[in-house]
Amino acid sequence: MTPAASKLYTDDVSLLMVLIDTNPFFWNSIKSTLSFSKFISNVLAFLNSILLLNQLNQVVLIATGYNSCDYIFDSSASQNQNQRAESLLQKLEEFVEKDESLCREDSVDAPGFSLLSGSLSMALCYIQKVFRSGPLHPRPRILCLHGSPDGPGQYVAIMNAIFSAQRSMVPVDSCILGAQHSAFLQQASYITGGVYLKPQLLDGLFQYLSTVFATDLHSRSFLQLPKPVGVDFRASCFCHKNTIDMGYICSVCLSIFCKHQKKCSTCGSVFGQSQAQDSSTPDRKRKTSVDK
Amino acid sequence: MLTLKDGVAYCLTELGGSPESRIKAVMGKLVCSGDASLQNGLDLVHSLLNQIPSYGHHEVFILYSALSKSSKIRCSVIGLSAELSIYANIFAKKLPHLKELVLEHAPPPPAIAEFAIANLIKMEFPQRAAEGVISFCSYHKEAKFGGGYTCRRCKASICELSTECCICGLTLVSSPHFARSYHHLFPITPFGDVAPLVSSDPHKVPKSCFGCQQSLLAPDALSALFLFPTLSRLMLMQETCQEAAHWVLSDNYPFAIADTEVSFFVVQIQIN
Repeated sequence: MTPAASKLYTDDVSLLMVLIDTNPFFWNSIKSTLSFSKFISNVLAFLNSILLLNQLNQVVLIATGYNSCDYIFDSSASQNQNQRAESLLQKLEEFVEKDESLCREDSVDAPGFSLLSGSLSMALCYIQKVFRSGPLHPRPRILCLHGSPDGPGQYVAIMNAIFSAQRSMVPVDSCILGAQHSAFLQQASYITGGVYLKPQLLDGLFQYLSTVFATDLHSRSFLQLPKPVGVDFRASCFCHKNTIDMGYICSVCLSIFCKHQKKCSTCGSVFGQSQAQDSSTPDRKRKTSVDK
Repeated sequence: MLTLKDGVAYCLTELGGSPESRIKAVMGKLVCSGDASLQNGLDLVHSLLNQIPSYGHHEVFILYSALSKSSKIRCSVIGLSAELSIYANIFAKKLPHLKELVLEHAPPPPAIAEFAIANLIKMEFPQRAAEGVISFCSYHKEAKFGGGYTCRRCKASICELSTECCICGLTLVSSPHFARSYHHLFPITPFGDVAPLVSSDPHKVPKSCFGCQQSLLAPDALSALFLFPTLSRLMLMQETCQEAAHWVLSDNYPFAIADTEVSFFVVQIQIN
C-alpha cells in the first residue's frame, strides 16, 4: 500500500452492509403506511449519502427474502458509475421474482417470516473476506432494515450470527419497519453494541437513516444516538418454537422447553426427580439440602 | 477462579456467569510468588463445588506454569467422587500455541450419566429495562441507574443476570448465555471437497462464492473449492491459523455461524 492510500484511510472509513427485508407478505401488510417503492427510494438516497461521506466508503446491499437471500449491490464491484441505480433495481427485481418462484417444503419457518439468519451470515462472510484483504480495510457494520416478525425456527442460527458479529466487533444496527418490535434484533443490537430504532413516522425514513444510521463507528463515541427502550430477552422453546419468557431448562444440554417433559428431545436424557421446580424455598435452604 | 501461590490457594473470583468481571480480575495485578500447591487448590475447589446442586456438572481447568527448566508438564486425568478431570499441557515458550491449547478445552467434555441426574429446571428470561431507569437492586441492596431486570413472579429487581431471585428463588437467566453453547449441540455438517472445476466447463461453475462474492474464476487464486452439502452451493472458504474462519449459511438452512471461540476451520487457499 502506498503511503498516500494509507493516509486516506481515516478513522471514519466504513463498510456498510445493508440487509433489506423483501418479504412480500410483510410489505403487503404495511402498504398503506409505506410502499415498497417509496422505501427503496429512501434507501437509494441513503446509500448515495453514505458513499458521498467518504470516498473510501463501501456499501453492500443484501436482500432478505422468505425463501432465499442474495447480494443486490456492491459499491466496490467495478461497474459503470452511471448505471448503478439501474443495475441495483434490476437485480432487486430479478431477486424478488426468483425468491417467489422458489418453493421450499423444508423451510424452517412459515412464509410470513424472512430469512434474517441467512442474510446476516452472508454479510458476516463478506466482512470476513474484507478483514483478510489486507492490513488496511474499512470498519464494517451491519444495518438491518427489517419488518417481518421474528421467525422462531431461526433462533439458534441468529444467535450464533450475533455471537460471531460480537466476536468480530461488528455492530448490528436495526431499523424496524413493522408494527411490532423484534426481540431477536433487540438482542443483536444490545449484544453487538449497535443501535436499535423503531421509527415512529415511516414517511420520514430517510431522515432517520441519515441522522442515526449513517454515523460511522468512530463518530459514535461522541454522538448521542437513540438509546434502547429495553431488551426483550425471550427465547424460543425447542418443542414448539414458541417465544417464551419462562421455561424449563434441561440440565445436561441446556435446551429450553415450555412445558414439563419426561425426556429431553435434544440429548435424550430422562429427567429423574421432579422436585424443586416450583419451590419457593430461599437460596440457603436449598443449598444445604443437597448432599454430596 | 483461584490462584495458587506460596503454597496456598486463594479465591480470586467467585462462581458466577458473567465473563466481564472475571476478565477484569485477571487483568488486574496478579503477582507470581512461591510454589503452587496443587493439593490445596483441589481442596478449595472441592469445598466450593460442593455447594452446587446435583444437576450441575463439575469441571476444573488448571493452568500450571513450570518453574523448572523442563517446559512441559502433563497431568493425567484424575477421577474423584465428583467428576473432576484435570488435564494441563502447557508449553511455556510458545504463547500462540498456548492459546490453541487452552481453546481446546473450551468445548465441554462429555458428561458421565451416573454422576449427575438430568433435571428439568424452571427458569425465567426477564426483560431488560430501558437505560435511564432508576431501580433498587434487591441483591446488592442499593439503587442502580439504568438497565435492570425484573422478576416476573415477585417483581423484585436485579441489576445483573444469571442469579437467583432473592425473594422467590426463581432462577433468572439471560437467554444469550444459553445460546452461546448451542453450537456444541447443533454442530455444522462438514463441507464437501470439490475437485477444482475451474479448468473444466466454465458454464457449470458459478462465477463467485455464494457466501462472500469472491471471484472463483481467477486461475491462480485457488486450489480447492468446497461444496455446501445440502444445497449444492459452491463456496470458497479460507483457512486461518489464528482465529476461526467464517461460516456460510445457506439461504434457509438453519445452521449457525460458529462462535469463533471454538476454532473450526475450513479450506486452504494457495495464492501465487
